Parts: sequence; structure tokens; C-alpha cells
Amino acid sequence: MKRDIMTNELTVDDLHLDYGTGAHANPILKGVSMHLQKGEVVALLGPSGSGKTTLLRAVAGLESPKSGTIAIGERKVFDGEAGLEMPAEQRNLGLVFQSYALWPHKTVFDNVAYGLKLRKLGAAEIKDKVAEVLKNLGLGHLAERYPHQLSGGQQQRVAIARALVYNPPVILLDEPLSNLDAKLREEARAFLRELIVRMGLSALMVTHDQAEAMAISDRILLLNNGKIEQQGTPQSMYETPDTLFVAEFMGSNNRLPAQVVQRHGPQVELEVGGRRLRAMARGTGEGQATTIIRVEEVKVSAEPADNAIELPLLTCMYLGDRYECLFKNANGDISLRAYTRHRLESGNYWLQLPADKLWVF
Amino acid sequence: MHTTAHAGRPGVNWPRGVVVALAATTIFLPLFLIFYQSFLNAPFFMPNKELGLEAYQFIFDDPDFALAFKNAFLLAAGLTVIAVPLGGMLAFLMIRTDLPGKGFIAPMLLVPIFVSPMVMGFGYVVAMGPVGFYTLWFKDIIGFIPWNIYSFASIVVIAGLTHVPHVYLYASSALKSLGSDVEEAARVTGASPLRVMFNVSLPMVTPALAYAAVLVFFLGFEVFGLVLVLGDPEGHMVLSTYLYKLTNKLGTPSYHLMAAVAVCLVMVTLPLVMLQRWLLKSANKFVSIKGKGARSKPMPLGRWKWLAFGLIFAWLMFTIVMPMSGIALRSFVQYWGEGVKLADVLTLQHFREILDQPALLRGILNTLLIGVIGGGCAVICYCAIALAMHRKPDMVTRFLDYSVLVPRAIPGLLAGLSFLWVFLFVPSWLDGMLKGMDNGAALWLSEHAIPALRAMRSTIFALWLAYSVVWLAYGMRLISTALLQVGPELEEAARAVGASRGRATRDVTLPLIRYGLLGAWLMVFLIFEREYSTGVYLLSPGTEVIGAMLVSLWATGSTDLVAALSFINVALVGTGLGIALRFGVKLHN
Repeated sequence: MKRDIMTNELTVDDLHLDYGTGAHANPILKGVSMHLQKGEVVALLGPSGSGKTTLLRAVAGLESPKSGTIAIGERKVFDGEAGLEMPAEQRNLGLVFQSYALWPHKTVFDNVAYGLKLRKLGAAEIKDKVAEVLKNLGLGHLAERYPHQLSGGQQQRVAIARALVYNPPVILLDEPLSNLDAKLREEARAFLRELIVRMGLSALMVTHDQAEAMAISDRILLLNNGKIEQQGTPQSMYETPDTLFVAEFMGSNNRLPAQVVQRHGPQVELEVGGRRLRAMARGTGEGQATTIIRVEEVKVSAEPADNAIELPLLTCMYLGDRYECLFKNANGDISLRAYTRHRLESGNYWLQLPADKLWVF
Repeated sequence: MHTTAHAGRPGVNWPRGVVVALAATTIFLPLFLIFYQSFLNAPFFMPNKELGLEAYQFIFDDPDFALAFKNAFLLAAGLTVIAVPLGGMLAFLMIRTDLPGKGFIAPMLLVPIFVSPMVMGFGYVVAMGPVGFYTLWFKDIIGFIPWNIYSFASIVVIAGLTHVPHVYLYASSALKSLGSDVEEAARVTGASPLRVMFNVSLPMVTPALAYAAVLVFFLGFEVFGLVLVLGDPEGHMVLSTYLYKLTNKLGTPSYHLMAAVAVCLVMVTLPLVMLQRWLLKSANKFVSIKGKGARSKPMPLGRWKWLAFGLIFAWLMFTIVMPMSGIALRSFVQYWGEGVKLADVLTLQHFREILDQPALLRGILNTLLIGVIGGGCAVICYCAIALAMHRKPDMVTRFLDYSVLVPRAIPGLLAGLSFLWVFLFVPSWLDGMLKGMDNGAALWLSEHAIPALRAMRSTIFALWLAYSVVWLAYGMRLISTALLQVGPELEEAARAVGASRGRATRDVTLPLIRYGLLGAWLMVFLIFEREYSTGVYLLSPGTEVIGAMLVSLWATGSTDLVAALSFINVALVGTGLGIALRFGVKLHN
């Protein structure tokens, strides 16, 4: 679909990239197209080996694609057919590395100022700009420290400051939160989102954590094995997945060994464990049908309910804010997990599976 | 993780091209000259030379050549058989056990590597020769001399023992990365420390031992100074001393014969160097524990403790203390022989003699200069070549990777000889070419530039060039170790922020390796001080260095001066080693 190039900060078209050449060529990106508009935060999500970091590095100019085009604003920075490849140092993008890559022999001030020095700004101007961006990120008092004297969170903010100080049109972030421990990650998530929105930045972020992607970004691109499986808002990716891969990647699911009895358009009738259930068809409908439902959508009830199956309780696990209960039938082929507020007594329960949340791919 | 560079990169990388061209020229031109000269029937500056195989015929017909070749093999093989097991055991004792006195043994272990073999050989003569200090003291105690330092067997033993540190270096770094659980399992089943060493630890570092074995084998093949000093009295010759004596054999500079011998030598060492590199690659795949391995507890030796300590002490005595003390004593005594009392003859006379001879003083100064300034310049050149290969995994890098190994196969003696030829050959060839051109500029060049090129032969620049090329592989190893410490992301971050590749190297890579470069400078200083054979053929008024002077003074029999100069040399090396240890410079790669 052609997008209006004028409002796009970043456009990638049909990008192919291999590692190695000739007989040992290993295709990593197999035709990826995406765009990024001004003020948007887009997350590149995917499992390891899906090519998301490679795509980010190709946009930055640190990897050489085989074919396709990359354009920043109106400037073409890569064109496979025309043999054009602009080197990384001329692309004027901001890149925040997963390991932060702060230069250990320079102070925080020098780390951030380096980009401005290369752009030949005057000393006074550099001082002002650096001071401003450090203040914005809460690092004003750390300007004369060296990277090894900073905490992980502080180092990350210096890396962000370094990428922002020369006002690039797009800032690229490679797994920005993966180096932080779990508690810090939640705070940093909020901080990052707030910063990007407040400064009106356009950001492309790589992550393997779907919760992080949904929390920070306006749009998610889910990559699978070098291709984009689905893209959309976090809500649409989570609530209306197009393929089984997307559904399984974006949330915790239960699988049911169900047989399809009949189909009327998007509505499907299933048989599982001797019971008939109504479900919704998603995806292309090719190949073998797999039935899934999100764990949080399963409603547990002691009395018989609509569109439900009866299973005995096996065990309940305490998760702090809720219990996760495991239900399994006698011969073990049907098992379901569900969340409940309180611990359940042992016995049989009815597990209601709402028809619009029970998906058949 | 790098894709190949795409067409469309702006322009050719000129600095890189210049560095690669210069490096390739200085590496391959001397080698080419050796090969070319070996196929001529007269030295190349003679007008009536022709291509032919006479040189090879002559040496193959010469029974001395066959004998020298055989001896070289025997020496190398014997040396390997002695050095490898001893080096492995020493490494095991130092790294895996609770040997007493590790603190003071460790720095002494590497001393033999940094002491010139000439000095070593001389040290053995004055300490344990027929009228050596220790010999005479032993004779006083026992009544007879139980050893003959000039026999071939003694030479092999001495060579083997002095090469133990080379094996130790590689075996110890391999043993360091071994987890202690395999040894503990053996001990639980009842194995004594000796059995553990032979059945578990050493077999597990076989790749490192194989690599070290190949290394000391071809080092043994190239041994020159030791055999020159110790082999003369009974006439034992190896290939390198045979080459050195060829001039004496025929009375005229028989460059074509020397080239033929050189080619035979290189034909043996070059495959060994390539084999060694291949072994190194497979040794690296064998590392069993990386990073946070289990904290390995040293194995208790129990009743073997003092025996082990005694053996190591004996080795240290024999390899370091005796020769060095011999030199020290000899340089401070007026004369020495049987029946002379030590206290009567102590003197500083020899050192005063050195001060009186300008050539010797120049030599000492040159040695210092070539070590400090020459070493610094060499490190800069090595750094340039390393940067030309850094982060650029393409054909040029592979070419350089193999090219820097080539000088390793050429012993110092040959390298000096080949550079002499370069400085003789290139100006005359250029001169001939320029005179053939009917051009004003060419004639001017012929009159001014060519004599300048000719004069370079007898400047210290020629010597420095030869030194730098001979030790190219060693220096490159030092620098690439330092470069490996710089993560690629630091340079990529610079490029993402807007720095060109060259700028990123200048602002990020170089500042981060500066301590590595300083350490490399110190190591190159040490190795240049130790050098002796490379300067032999380039020796002329103005290019004297201690090592080369030792060789020529030894030939004239001035033992006193040789002793005093050796003492000065050892003092220089000792100072350097002291500085290295003080600043914690890693003495091995």
C-alpha cells in the first residue's frame, strides 16, 4: 500500500538482507516493508532470530542489505537497484544500543557532546544543548562523571541523551529495557514512553518482550523468520490476531484438542470432550485447525454455564495478585488454565469459554 | 555478524591501501630476492650472472650441508622432546598445584625468552666450560669434570632447557582455563598428583602442547647463537651456522650459495608456521571453561611438594643462575683459569675498555635507541597494519593475516641478509631503469635519489626495518590482543552519531588501546634488545648493535669484551623486565 511519503519519517520497502554471500548466504530479512510517521513509536517485536535487530541496524546503516529501499524523510539512504548506500555516519539518526556502548574514556558530557562536535557547533552552543538534554533526562548533576561511575539506569539515560542531542528525525532503540532488572524495567518503561511523547519524537524500538512493546508503542510490527507476520496497534494485535503465531506470541493461551464439526462463515462449531462449543474462526483457515483461548478469558463457575466444559481441578498456584488454577480431565488430554481471585476447593468446575474469544486458526 | 560491503561505497580507502602495499612490499621483496638469488649462479650484482641450478648442486654435493641439515633436525627434535614434557609439567605445577614459592618463581620463568641466545651460549662457556667458574669449583670438590659442554648432546640439552619457557607459556594459559572438577574426580578415585598430571591434566591440553611442540621445533631448526658459541670447538654445525660460515668456506661472498641454503631452510620452516597457525585455530575450540568457571582449588602435592620445588629450583639454577652469574663474574675479573683466586682478580677494567672504544659505545647507544625509538616506531607500524585489518573481514585482511606469518619462517640471520640484498639490489635495479629512460627527471633522480637509497644500507634505518619485519608476527599479536578488548559497539555508536570510520578509529579505538600500545612498546623493546642475528649482515660503522657485535667479537676471541657487553645487555633486558613487572604488563599473549 502506497503511503504518503511526505508525512513519513522513515520508509522501508521490500528489504532483503543476507548474512554471508554466495553458497553460504543466510537470508535474514525476506522482504520487509514498513513506515514510521512523525511522532509515532513503532515496536519491532519477534522471537530471537526473527531479524528485528538486523532490520534496525540496516536502517542505521550498520548492516548492508541486498535489495530494497530505505528512505529517511525524503532522502533515500539505501537503494539496492541504484547501488546507493549512504554510510551510517551520514544518516543523522539516533541509535541507542542494547549495551548502551558509552565510551569509557569520555565523561558523560563528552559522550553526549561528541555528536555536536562532529557537526562543528561552537563550544558555547554545545555546552547549552548538552546541559539542556541532560536536564531533560534528569542527569544534570552527572555531567563530569565517567560511565563506570553510573548505575545501569543512569547509563541508559546517557545513551538516550547522546542519541537525542542533535535532534535526529528518528531515534532507534535496540532492546532498551532488557539490560535492566525487573523492578527497574517497569519504571523505565513509563519513563521512556513519557519522554518520547513529551519530546514529540519518532521512535523505532526493537524488543522481544510483548508486554514492553504493548506498553510503550503506538504500533507493533511482529516479525517472524524475516517477514512481517502482522502489524497494527497493540490492541488490534492482542485482541484480533490474524495468525496462530501472532496469537501465541502476544499472550498466554490455552490449547484445546477440538474437532471442527461445521463452519458458517466466521462461526465454527467444535466438539471437544464430548461437548459442543461455538467458536470464532480467525486466520486463513488453511491447514490443520488449532483451537486456542487466552487464559484470562476462561471463566470458572461451580454451576453449569453456556459454552462451557466440565473439568476436575488439579491444582491452584498462588501468584500474589491472583491464583492460576489448572484443570485436567481424567485421561489427561484436555487441560485448561484459568485465573481466579480465590483458592478453589477440589472438585469439578464448569469452565466457560466465550464464543468470540474461543479462536480457531 | 558483518555483511559484505556493498558496491557504492564512496571511493577507495587510500590510507589502508598505502599501509597494505608497504607491508606487502617489506614482507615479500626480501623473500623474493632470496629465491631469485638462489637461482642465479653468481651474486646478483655481478654482470655475468645467469639463471641456473648450480647453487643448489653445489650445496647438495657438499657433505657438510647434509651433515648440517641432519644436525639441525636432530637438534630441533631433541629440543622438542626435552622442552615439551618439561614445559607441560612446569605449567601443571605452577598453575594447578600448591607449589611453594610460586611468587618468586613466576617472574624468573620467562627470563630465558628475553635473554639473547648468544649471551646464553657465552654464559654457559664461562660458567661450565672446561675452565668455567662452576667447572673449576666442582673439580675442587669432586676431582673431575662430569660434563662436556661442547658435545652435541650438551648443546641439545641446553637448547631444550632454555626453550622450556616457550612451552610453559602456552601450556599454562591452556591449563588456566581448565576446570578443577576433572582433576578432583581423578583424585577421588585414588590417583596421586603425578598420575593426575599425566592421565588427566596434560592430555586435556593436548592442542596447546601440540602447538607449542611445533613452535619449539621450528625455533630449534633456526637456532643460531647457541650453536655458534658451543658448536665451534668440536665442529658441530647446524644449517644456520653452515650458512654463516659459507663465506669463510669459499673466501668470497657466495650469495647464491647462501640463498640456496636459505631456501632449503625456509622450505622447512614455512609449512611449520602454517601448521602452527592451523593448530592454534583448533586449540581455541578446545577451551573447556570460559568466564565464570568454578573457582578451582589448587591441588595439594603432599609429599611431592619439596621434590617438585627442588626440581624447578634445579632447572632455574641451570638455565638462569649459572650462565648469568658466569657472565657477571667473567665481566668483573681480569683473567680466569685454573688455580686463579677469585678475590685477586676482580676489576672494572673491561668496562673501562668499552668506554674507550667508540664503536662499542656507539653499539650500546644504538641498541638503546633501536629498542626505545625503533621499538616505538615499530609499534606504530604494527598498529597501522592491525587497524587495516580491524573490523574489515575481506580478502585484504585474509591476505595480511597470512602475510604477517611469513617473516616468522625466516630466521633473523636470513632476514638481515635479505635486507642487505634489498638495499643492494633495489638501488642498482632502479638505477639501471632510470638510466635507460631518456628523461631529464630520470637522470636527476639517478644522480641524487639513487645514492641516497644506496647510503640507506649503512644507516640504522635498514637495521630497524629488518628488525620490524622479523618480529612482525609477534608485534601484531600484541596489538590485536589489545584491539580485541574494544567492543564493536563502541565504534558503531561513534558512527551512528556521525563520525566517519577514520574519525571513529581516532576518537574511540586508539584512546582505548593506549595502554595496550604502551605494553606492546615495552615488549618490543625487550625483544629488540635480545636480537642478535638480524644485525650480523647489516653490521657496518654506524649500525653496530650489541647483539651483532657479540657475534663478531666472539669470532675474534675477545672474551673480556664479550663478557662485559653481555653483562650490559642483560642489565638492559633486566631493567626492561623490571619495568614490565612493576606496571603489570602481561609478559605473554
